[in-house]
Amino acid sequence: MSFETFIGSIEIRNPLILASGVLGTTYSTLRRAYEAGLGAVVTKSIGPRSRSGNPNPSVFALQEIRSLINSVGLANPGYQSFRHDIEQLVKSETPTIVSIFGENQTEFSEVLDGLKDLNILGFELNLSCPNTEKGGSQLGTDPDAVFNIVKTLKSKTKLPLWVKLTPNVSDIIEIANAAVKGGCDALVAINTLKAMVIDIQTKQPILGFKRGGLSGSAIKPIGIRHIYDLYESFGERIPLIGVGGISKGEDVVEYLLAGASAVEIGSAIGVAYPENMIRFIIMKLKKYLVEHNYSSIGEITGGAHK
Amino acid sequence: MTKQTLPNTKPIMCKIIKKEEECEDTFTFLLELPVNAEGAKPGQFIMLWVPGVDEFPIGIAGFENNVLEIGVAKMGEGTEVLLKKEIGDYLGIRGFYGKPFKPPREGKVNHVLIGGGFGMTPLKMLTTHLLNQEEKQEIHIFEGARTKSRLMYLNWFQHLHNEEKLTFHACTDDGSYGYQGYPTVDLENFLKEVEGPSILYVAGPERMMKAIFDIGKKYDEVIDMQMSLADRYMRCGFGVCSYCAVDPTGWRICVDGPIFNTKQLEQITDFGVYKRLDTGKKERI
Repeated sequence: MSFETFIGSIEIRNPLILASGVLGTTYSTLRRAYEAGLGAVVTKSIGPRSRSGNPNPSVFALQEIRSLINSVGLANPGYQSFRHDIEQLVKSETPTIVSIFGENQTEFSEVLDGLKDLNILGFELNLSCPNTEKGGSQLGTDPDAVFNIVKTLKSKTKLPLWVKLTPNVSDIIEIANAAVKGGCDALVAINTLKAMVIDIQTKQPILGFKRGGLSGSAIKPIGIRHIYDLYESFGERIPLIGVGGISKGEDVVEYLLAGASAVEIGSAIGVAYPENMIRFIIMKLKKYLVEHNYSSIGEITGGAHK
Repeated sequence: MTKQTLPNTKPIMCKIIKKEEECEDTFTFLLELPVNAEGAKPGQFIMLWVPGVDEFPIGIAGFENNVLEIGVAKMGEGTEVLLKKEIGDYLGIRGFYGKPFKPPREGKVNHVLIGGGFGMTPLKMLTTHLLNQEEKQEIHIFEGARTKSRLMYLNWFQHLHNEEKLTFHACTDDGSYGYQGYPTVDLENFLKEVEGPSILYVAGPERMMKAIFDIGKKYDEVIDMQMSLADRYMRCGFGVCSYCAVDPTGWRICVDGPIFNTKQLEQITDFGVYKRLDTGKKERI
């Protein structure tokens, strides 16, 4: 039985990847997440300059729907400062995907140029953060912008480029098409959903930024649907990475069946102790492979499309 | 893992039922929880939401019958607005988060509590916890401040001292109350003299804690040191965001701490040296 997972040219030890924005602020939490048993990690989204993000409250849980809402807003130290953390990850042989963002093509290029010499697995382009005034999801909802950015960045590096898609569009396939035409190496779906929570006592939105993005169990069926639709459109042409609401082995299998080659885990892994959670997921995956006579993870991908 | 005693969810709105000036620029607030909750433990913290302004981690000074006691000093925009809140106003809390102080269940030790400023809030709760033990405990409190008017819980500790329930060692920079000088110096004089094993519990500015850590390590009789690293930038408070994480261990202050023991502190090279800003970037303390 093999857990090795292929995402295009990338091979990782299992299909579980740490999603961007969770445990991703420093090399030490990222390394710890990898050592806990993941196949790879994605860093916090890194931009051209240091950025404080949005005021607190910027993350809290919604227990009744096992979910989180956040409006962190791309707080990050800037690529020049974060380079040191990536170097530490590379030194400790942690398979690392660096998530990058920018307000426009020039900024994306600057960040990519500043980090592309590092021995990383690839880049994930965050074209879909809902928590900023400019950039992020605005770019991610415009197929022309997506095409141009991916094409430009692709011409600058041989490293794989993954594109993270926002579900906050009427037609995700149109955006995905633009990314694929631009030459991306994998599609990651989905980012958080636009959301808000209002306190009825003080009659105001709780998040400091007022608006936020929802992640966690509540969005899993939405992520599954998008991966299913993407697989139906692209089939084996482009690897898909499923993300949204994964907290157990069954969730991973569901995403694989929908068409994902690998998955990213975010909210749940941060709340739990990563070591325990990953062990349970791997145990469940093993059991599933045996019960359904699969010999590798890759065989499960797309199994729900008959 | 510490059992969550309140649901980890959006801020739970609590009514301010009492507000009083504790010392200069510092107020005690009593907040009434609208739900029944099991007790918070000394050293744990809450994320306090000042509606429309800010949210930040804050230590718990006491918790009894669903009433939470916090101590707030003026420190920035959030606390400034907070200090203007009055009885009847609402504040949001999330928690109780983090690992608590762990005094040994058995054996005779000197409990030595050292702090300054808002670091005194978790130490007040720890004091209450130790005083409630069946067997009388040997308790020493070292509190440092610039001047007498800034000694937090002065009357409370002094009263307990007068009743011989603990020994209160107040230290002021200007000598207006107690020992004139830093608590670190007073503490070291104490450690030279005291008999039997001691445990140090420390909460306050991180540089002070690092200085105490270095002192404590010189004495074999100091069998453990438990320090609160809660004074760091936090967003979530429950482990997701990692903005409070320390290198090179990758421990998150909010769930792996905020209380760390000697063995753990020795591994945290950031301790007393670097803290993280809201951008995630590290800065010298």
